[in-house]
Amino acid sequence: MKRSEERWLIILFLAPTTLFMLLLLWAPFLQGMWMSLHRWPFMGEPVWLGLRNYTDFLGAAYFWDAIEATLIYSLSTLFQLAVALVAALALRQPFVRFKALWRGIMIISYAMPPVVVGAIWLFLLDPGLGMITHYLMAFGIIEQPIYWFAENTWAKWMITLVASWTFWPFMFLIILSALQAIPQSRYELAEIYGANLWQRFVVVTLPAIRNAILVVVILRLAFNLAKIEQPFTLTGGGPGYETSVLSILMYRFAFMSGDFGMAFTVGMFLVVMTAALILPFAWLFQRQVGRA
Amino acid sequence: MHGTASGIEVRNLRKTFGGGTVVACDDVNLDIGSGELLVLLGPSGCGKTTTLRCIAGLENPDNDDAIWVRGRNMTRLAPRDRNLAFVFQDTALFPNLTVRRNISFGLDMRGKLSRAEIEARVTEAARLLRIEGLLDRYPRQLSGGQGQRVGLGRAIVMEPDAFLLDEPLAALDAALRVEMRTEIKLIQRKLATTMIFVTHDQEEALTIGDKIAVMKDGRVQQVDSPQDIYRRPSNLFVATFIGSPPINQFRCELRQEGGEVRLVSPIFTLSLPAELARRFAAADRGLILGLRPEFVEIGREAGGIEGVVRLTELLGSRTLVLVDAGGTEIRVLVQGEPGVREGDRVRLVLQLARGFYFDLDGRSLL
Amino acid sequence: MTDDRSSPGQKALGHGGLALVLALVLIPYVYVIVTAFKPAEEIYDATWLPQRISFDAWIEVFEVNRFHLYLWNSLVAGAGSAALAILIAVPGAYIFARKEFRFREPFFYMIVGTLIFPFILLIVPITITWIRIGLFDTFIGLWLAFQIFAVPYSMWILRGYFAGLPKNLEEAAMVYGCTQFQAFYRVMLPLAKPVIVSVLFLAFLQGWSDFLFSNMLTTGDGPRTASVAIYASTAGGERVDWQVLMVMTLLTGVPPVVLYMLAQKHLAKTFAAT
Repeated sequence: MKRSEERWLIILFLAPTTLFMLLLLWAPFLQGMWMSLHRWPFMGEPVWLGLRNYTDFLGAAYFWDAIEATLIYSLSTLFQLAVALVAALALRQPFVRFKALWRGIMIISYAMPPVVVGAIWLFLLDPGLGMITHYLMAFGIIEQPIYWFAENTWAKWMITLVASWTFWPFMFLIILSALQAIPQSRYELAEIYGANLWQRFVVVTLPAIRNAILVVVILRLAFNLAKIEQPFTLTGGGPGYETSVLSILMYRFAFMSGDFGMAFTVGMFLVVMTAALILPFAWLFQRQVGRA
Repeated sequence: MHGTASGIEVRNLRKTFGGGTVVACDDVNLDIGSGELLVLLGPSGCGKTTTLRCIAGLENPDNDDAIWVRGRNMTRLAPRDRNLAFVFQDTALFPNLTVRRNISFGLDMRGKLSRAEIEARVTEAARLLRIEGLLDRYPRQLSGGQGQRVGLGRAIVMEPDAFLLDEPLAALDAALRVEMRTEIKLIQRKLATTMIFVTHDQEEALTIGDKIAVMKDGRVQQVDSPQDIYRRPSNLFVATFIGSPPINQFRCELRQEGGEVRLVSPIFTLSLPAELARRFAAADRGLILGLRPEFVEIGREAGGIEGVVRLTELLGSRTLVLVDAGGTEIRVLVQGEPGVREGDRVRLVLQLARGFYFDLDGRSLL
Repeated sequence: MTDDRSSPGQKALGHGGLALVLALVLIPYVYVIVTAFKPAEEIYDATWLPQRISFDAWIEVFEVNRFHLYLWNSLVAGAGSAALAILIAVPGAYIFARKEFRFREPFFYMIVGTLIFPFILLIVPITITWIRIGLFDTFIGLWLAFQIFAVPYSMWILRGYFAGLPKNLEEAAMVYGCTQFQAFYRVMLPLAKPVIVSVLFLAFLQGWSDFLFSNMLTTGDGPRTASVAIYASTAGGERVDWQVLMVMTLLTGVPPVVLYMLAQKHLAKTFAAT
């Protein structure tokens, strides 16, 4: 039982949220599903196709290219985690000074708009005048410029590396705050019982940040698969479909070919793939939380 | 006609949560006279705070005519329309307002008094509570005791029909708690305003209340003056909950033997004093004897219950002696030095005339 | 000196890791900055110290590319989106944090769940709808579309903050004369001010940084944002004017970085509470 005044406040205050959810989340989503059953051009009349978009996509030559690209691109989550762990652990050490400054510098690439970072790497990796090519040739590691974003073998790994370079600070910030929450006394206790540096890491640090790691991995997996500003700037999904991560493919169909029905069809596959990649980690997280 | 003309009446209050699955208050009836200080006492989860919150309007009772103030049914009124002031356990001061604005908050909202009148009342209340020097501070700059004084100030300036205090001292340290409870009682006497004071601390209840209502499992067990609650508990729960150190309990059989009525337990057989024996039914029956530790004596001469002193605890002017009598632990409270040491063999004498007698369901037989 | 008993090995590891990460982050940016101030003829030499400092690229960015117009568009897009996100998320988050009602948890998670839902696929139907109802190529269209990522995030942070406030505050307000709404407006809202500023700030930066929505929903004639303009400049293939592009990246990228650094303490403090 509730007083009517409270009921009205709840209704009134939830109205914007409800409208948002219905009009900006659910309506477009359902509309998109409807669109995916049509050939739906940017302008002009849609034509009913039934499930043809779905079967076409499953049968398309580029389908497996896209899946492979998506899987490789999702590996950036792993690289981000590695850098974030190193940075967070280093910044947690008592003997490191000017911590605020270093932390500020570390989040630069995350603070910048992704397209900006994409453009910067496009320049640094330019085969003609990029710094990277220049030094690789100067040190004799490569003999002639590599067209990083135009060669099949390189392109999908380069976009993965650039994504890793850009987004690791997100993980870093969350892991760092989890590290800072570990009471010093736990380390002292481990030390009293004779634990060395590595043992202290395994016994004290790791268990304390395990949940944080799972959370950032889940979030970043989902984010990374949808954060396509950079690959879009760097390769546009090419060469061919080599770097057409599902979300890029979706964007290509919409933005470049104006095939909105097919675009949303690909989007649906993105949903499924994101869920499939997240699920094991979500399950682990559930189990962790359940145990605590 | 419901409700006394000037006080607060709670009638058949029922409050459930979770769609009726959890019963917090079950047929609670209270009658608080004008200017009276009633303490709601009970263990956590007994429904005392829920009762108070129903009176304040912070919870909505299940029945429509549960809360009466000055003869008016307030059950469905919004909290702000009840003219009752509430003091929260965690103070619930507004962190973004100064102490001054916190105290005047209710008057500011009411908007009936002029600025000058509000200031006058704030000053008056601050003087009464001895917090004049804190008026321009913010809540985060206050100690726990100061915070609770400000909470009281916020209530006092309203000149409400009643003060409702929800465990106001629970978060304070022991010494401060003792000081504050005296002060609260003095203020209540001075203002002559009805007060309902919720606590789980029986000592606090005994010292502060004009009347005490003991609650358990959502039901009122007994409402009486502190003296009567202490001396004539209406059931075993009240007897065990009130008093510190707690009461000794003995499960006994009542037996007619010869011309006497005897009380038989595994560790003793005693003749019941004649006037008590007359009051209990003649037939053999089980009962529970409750005896406060101060009514057990340590004797030297023969007779009495044999035991060994396990531990002595100094409680200031008195000493608690724990005696093991054939596997039963008996608490004995002794004035001053106990005169015995751990390991001593002693004989205990029970003052049966001062005992409480309950049937096996815990109801008082007296 | 602090009382620090870390072993030399631990110190070497710590400093080494730190130096490595910092080098990884900083070297590219330093080179970008150097490039932006190089005279055009030096662009093909990977030098770190140009012969002379040149502002040609900077002048060109404003005079030829009219880049300040795009920056302005980004500013308006981000600010409007942040304001709208607050209007939607603050009341909602307050209710989710502090009121009981049926289906509260599922409702809440249906909204913040979109944080891990690949919401970019909603660009597809939204573009078509915006064209149909006249929001395509308008600021209003951008603001509304940005809510898709701004609201769930803001809602998440705000609910955490509201839920962390002392639990009896509204009750105290209501006992002392407030209506439900006044309790929110006079007590809770002032208390939430710092976190609202944080959320505004983050929502603004999300809007400022957005590319995928802006690129899809605007044309060269409309409120095209700086991110989109940068993308358009990279699409020139061999004819990309790298110095101009690097100036653009600095102009677009530095403001959020500076804001982040200034806000770091404030952000850490408000999020510690959630």
